[in-house]
Amino acid sequence: MKKVSILAIKYIVYGVMVAISIVPFYILFYLSVNSPSRSYFESMNLLPDWQFYNYMEAWKQSNIGLSIFNSIVITVGALVLLVLLASAAGYSIARFPNVFNRTVFIVLLLCMMIPAIIVTVPLYTLMKDIGGINSRWAMTLLQTSTMLPFAVFLYTSFIKSIPKEIEESAIIDGCTHFTAFWRVTFHFLKPVNSSVVILAGMRIWNNYDQAIFFLQDSSVRTIPLAVSAFFQKYGADWNLMAAASMIGLLPAVLLFLFFQKSFVKGITTGAIKG
Amino acid sequence: MTRFMMYMTFISLLFFGIVGCSEGNSTNSTSDNDSEGGEDVENQEDVSLKLFTGKVETVDLMDELIADFESANPNIQVEQEYANDASNVMKVKFASGDVPDITTVITQDYMDQDRYIDLSDESYWDRILPSIKELNTDIKTGNTFSVATNVTMAGIFYNKEIFAELGLEEAQTWDEFVSNLETIKEEKPDVTPLFLPGKEVWSLGHLVEFMAHGEIKQELGISDSRKAFIENEKEKLGFSDPEGPMAIFAERLMELQDKGLINEDALTASYDNQKDAFVTGNAAMISQGMWVMGELLDIDPEVAGRIGFSPYPPLKEGSKPVVLSAEDSKYAITSASEHPEEAKKFLEFLMKDENVKKYSEAIKSPPSFTDVDADWGPIKDETNAVLESAVNIQFTDWPSGFSGDDNGRMVQELLAGKYDGSDLTEFAQEYAETWNKAWESTQ
Amino acid sequence: MYSLLNRINTRLHLFMTVPAALLYGIFFIYPLIQGIGISMTDSNGVTEPNFIGLQNFIEFFNDDRAKGALMNTIYFAVGSAPLLNIFGLAYALFLDQNIRGRTFIRTIVYMPAVISPLIMGYIWYFIMQPQRGFLYHVLESMHLGFLNGNWLADSSTALNVIIMVNVWQFVGMTMIIYLAGLQGIPGELYEASKIDGAGYLARLRYVTIPMLYPAIKINVVTNIIGSLAVFEIIMAMTEGGPGYATESMSIFIMRMMYGSFTGYSTAVALIMFVVIVIPVFIFLRATKSKEMEM
Repeated sequence: MKKVSILAIKYIVYGVMVAISIVPFYILFYLSVNSPSRSYFESMNLLPDWQFYNYMEAWKQSNIGLSIFNSIVITVGALVLLVLLASAAGYSIARFPNVFNRTVFIVLLLCMMIPAIIVTVPLYTLMKDIGGINSRWAMTLLQTSTMLPFAVFLYTSFIKSIPKEIEESAIIDGCTHFTAFWRVTFHFLKPVNSSVVILAGMRIWNNYDQAIFFLQDSSVRTIPLAVSAFFQKYGADWNLMAAASMIGLLPAVLLFLFFQKSFVKGITTGAIKG
Repeated sequence: MTRFMMYMTFISLLFFGIVGCSEGNSTNSTSDNDSEGGEDVENQEDVSLKLFTGKVETVDLMDELIADFESANPNIQVEQEYANDASNVMKVKFASGDVPDITTVITQDYMDQDRYIDLSDESYWDRILPSIKELNTDIKTGNTFSVATNVTMAGIFYNKEIFAELGLEEAQTWDEFVSNLETIKEEKPDVTPLFLPGKEVWSLGHLVEFMAHGEIKQELGISDSRKAFIENEKEKLGFSDPEGPMAIFAERLMELQDKGLINEDALTASYDNQKDAFVTGNAAMISQGMWVMGELLDIDPEVAGRIGFSPYPPLKEGSKPVVLSAEDSKYAITSASEHPEEAKKFLEFLMKDENVKKYSEAIKSPPSFTDVDADWGPIKDETNAVLESAVNIQFTDWPSGFSGDDNGRMVQELLAGKYDGSDLTEFAQEYAETWNKAWESTQ
Repeated sequence: MYSLLNRINTRLHLFMTVPAALLYGIFFIYPLIQGIGISMTDSNGVTEPNFIGLQNFIEFFNDDRAKGALMNTIYFAVGSAPLLNIFGLAYALFLDQNIRGRTFIRTIVYMPAVISPLIMGYIWYFIMQPQRGFLYHVLESMHLGFLNGNWLADSSTALNVIIMVNVWQFVGMTMIIYLAGLQGIPGELYEASKIDGAGYLARLRYVTIPMLYPAIKINVVTNIIGSLAVFEIIMAMTEGGPGYATESMSIFIMRMMYGSFTGYSTAVALIMFVVIVIPVFIFLRATKSKEMEM
C-alpha cells in the first residue's frame, strides 16, 4: 500500500514537471497553426485554427531545408571536434598538471568569463583575412573554439573523479598514456560526452550572435537566422516564425533523444570496478 | 576555405594519425599561416558586386530584381547579403575593411568619413521628388550620398466610423485632439481612445521624433532643422528648455496618461496588439507609419473603408499639425568599392520605372519618382490631401550613440512613472544630457 | 631518430592540450589581445581613437545607467544561480530512477533549453500579457483573476519574472550535468550504505552529494558565469525595459558598443569580467577544501 502511494506521488510530480515544461510548446504550436489575425488569446479558447498551411509557407519562404542542412553541418562538425579536442585537453590537464597544462586550464577558465563582445571587430578582421566570412568551415571552427572552455572544464572535472587505475592496466599492456586515454578512459566518459554534445550542441544550434556576423549569404544561413528573417523592421510574422521554429526544433530534439541514452544507471559503475 | 581544411587536417592528424597502440609518427610541421588569404579572384570581364541590406522583408524581391539585372548584364554578378541587425554588422564591416559595394546602411558618421561616393550627377534625379533629393543631400558637404526609391509617411490613423458616429473632426490643435479623445472615452467606454504599443520602443521613439522634434522641424524648416540636429545647435534645439519641445512633450503625454486616454497596458502592448485593436474597432486612433497599411489589410481587408489618416496634432499653441514625409528604401555606394561604375549601373537599374513600380507595389509604399504611378494602397488620395495640408517633416538625424530606440526607452521611463511627483523639466534635462553626450562621442 | 620519435610518442600525453590551446588561441586569445587595447581609448568605432588612459574605467563609476545595469545583473544572478542548481539537482535525482516513461519526461524537461532564448522570450510574452495572455485567461477561468497583473511593465516585478523564466528554461541543462554526475557513482556505495541501514536522505547526504562534487562545481561555476552574462532572455522579454529597469551588463555593453561608445563598452566589459571572476574564484577556493576532505 505504501509503495503504491509513493508511486502515485512520484507520478504526480512527474505530471507537474511535464505540464510546466510543455505549456510554452503548446503556445508555440498554437501560434504555428493559427491564421495571422490570431496572435494572442481573446478568451479561454485554446484551440487553434489548424492552419497547417503555415508550415508549407514557412518552409518555402525561409528556405529552411537549406538552413537545417547548414545547421547540421556546423553543429555536427563542431561537436566532433569539440569532443576530441576538449576530452584530450581535459585528460592532459586532469592527469598531468604541469605548468603548461595548468596555464592552459586557467586561461580557458578566465576567458570563459570575458564578455565575447570585446573581440567582435578583431575577430571579424581575422575571419575576413582567412576567408572565413560566409564559410561553414570557419563557423564550425569558431563554434568549437567558443565552446572549448566550457567543455574542457567539464572534462577536467569529471576525469579527475575517475580513478587512475583504469588506464594502468592498458599501460602495462604497452600503451602510452596517450593511447591509453583513447582506448580506455575515453569510453568511461560516455555520460560526459553526452552532456557536452547535448549542452554545447544546443548552444551551437541556437547560435545567433556570431552567425549574424559571419553567415550573411543566404546559401549558408542557419536555422536561427532563417527564423529571424520573420522579424522585420516593424513587427513580425508570428505564425510563420512559430512554424519555422517548430521545424527547426525537430533535429535538435532527435539529437537529444539519441544522446540521452547514455544517462542510464550502471554503465560506468561496473566498469570502474573491473 | 582551403585554409580551414588545412587547420582541420592538421588538428585531426594530431589525433587520428597516432591513436593505435603501436608507435605513431607525429608529423610536427606546424606551419604558421600568417600570410594574407582571400585574394580577390579578379577577371577583367567579370565583376562581382556585393549588396548588403538590412531590409530582410525585401530579400526575395531583391533577388528577383538581381536576377533580371544579371540576365541583362551577364558580366556583373550581384551577391546579396543581409542581416537583421544590419547597422551593427555594417559597423563591424567598416571597421574591419570587409566593405560591400552597395548598402542600405547610411549614417552621418560614415558620410563624415567619406565612406560613400557622391551620386548627385546621376541621371535619375530629374525624376525624383525634389524634397526627397533634399533629404538625401548631406548637410555638411552638399553631396548626395544616397538615393531613395520610396517615400514613407507617418501620422495618426483613425477609425472613420467612430469619428462619423460621434461627429468628430480631425484635430488641428492639441486641445481639439484631447477633446476628441475625451469624447471617445465618454461615449464609447470600451474603446481605447489612443492605443500605444509601448513594448516596441521604436513606436514610442516615433512620438518623440514626430511630435516633439516635429515642433523643431516645423519652426526651422527641413534644412535648418537638419543642420541643427546634425551640428547640435543647442539653442535652436532647446531640448533642456523648460518651455521647449521635450518638456512640453512630457507634459502632454502625461496628460493623456492621467486622463486615461491611452491604453492601460501602454508599456507592454505590442505592435500586433495595436494593429488588432485598431482593426477590431477597439482602438479609435493609433500613431503609425504607412508600413502598417499592408498588415492591417492582411488582418481584415474590410478595414480599408474605415481607415482615416490625419497629421499629428501640434504640441504647442500656435504650431501647425505635422506629418512625416520622408525617404524610404535608401541605397548608397561605398567609396571602398572597386567597381563603382558597375554599382551605379545596378542602382540605375533599380531606378527604372518598371522596377520602382514593382518594388513599391510589393512593399506597399509610395514611390519617390514623379513618373511612376504605382498602386501602393487604398488611402492614396487621403494621404496626398494630408501631405498638402500639414507641415511635412523629416526623420531626425540622430547622433549615432542615441538612437530612436533610446528615445523610446526614455518615454517608457516616463510612462512607468520615473518622473512622477517631480518636475517634468527633469525629463527634458536628462534628455538633453543624453543627447549631448552621444553627440560629443563622435566628434 | 627512432628514439626521438619514441620519446615524442611516450610524452604525447603531456601535450594533448596543444590542439585545443591552438584553436582557442587563434579564435579568441589573438583577437582578445587586439580588443583589450580599445578599452583605454575613446574609440567610437568610426573615427580614429585617442588614448585616454583609465578614463573609461573611472567614467563607469559616475554612470548611473551602468551601475543600474550592474545591480540588475547581480540581482538576476543571485536569483537564478541557486534556483537553477536546486531544481536541476532535484530534477536529476527524480529522473535518475528506474521508472517508466523516464526518457519521455527527460526529453520534455530538457526541451525548453533547445528553443532559442529569443523565441522563448516571445512565447513567454504571449503567456504573460495582461488581458490577452494565456495565463490571464487561465487565471480568470479559475476565478483567480485578482492574481493578474502587468508584471513585465512594473520595474519591481519584471526582473523576478525574467528570473523565473530563465530558471524554467535552463533547469534542463543543469539537470543534464547532474545526471552525468550521477552515472559516475558506483552502485556498490549505495549498497554498502543500505546494508548500514541508511535511509534515502542519509544516502543523499553521505553518498550522493559528496560524489557529485565535480557536477556541482561545474554547474555552479557555469551558472554564475551564465547568469552574470545574461542577455538574450531579457532582450526577448523586455528589451531591458521598461526604460532601463531590466537592462543587464551585457545588454548595456552591446548598446554602448554599437552606439558610439566602443572604447567605453570594452572597459565596461572588463569591469564585468572582474565582477564574474570574484564569485567564481571564491567558490572554487571554497570547494577545493571540500574535495580534499573526500
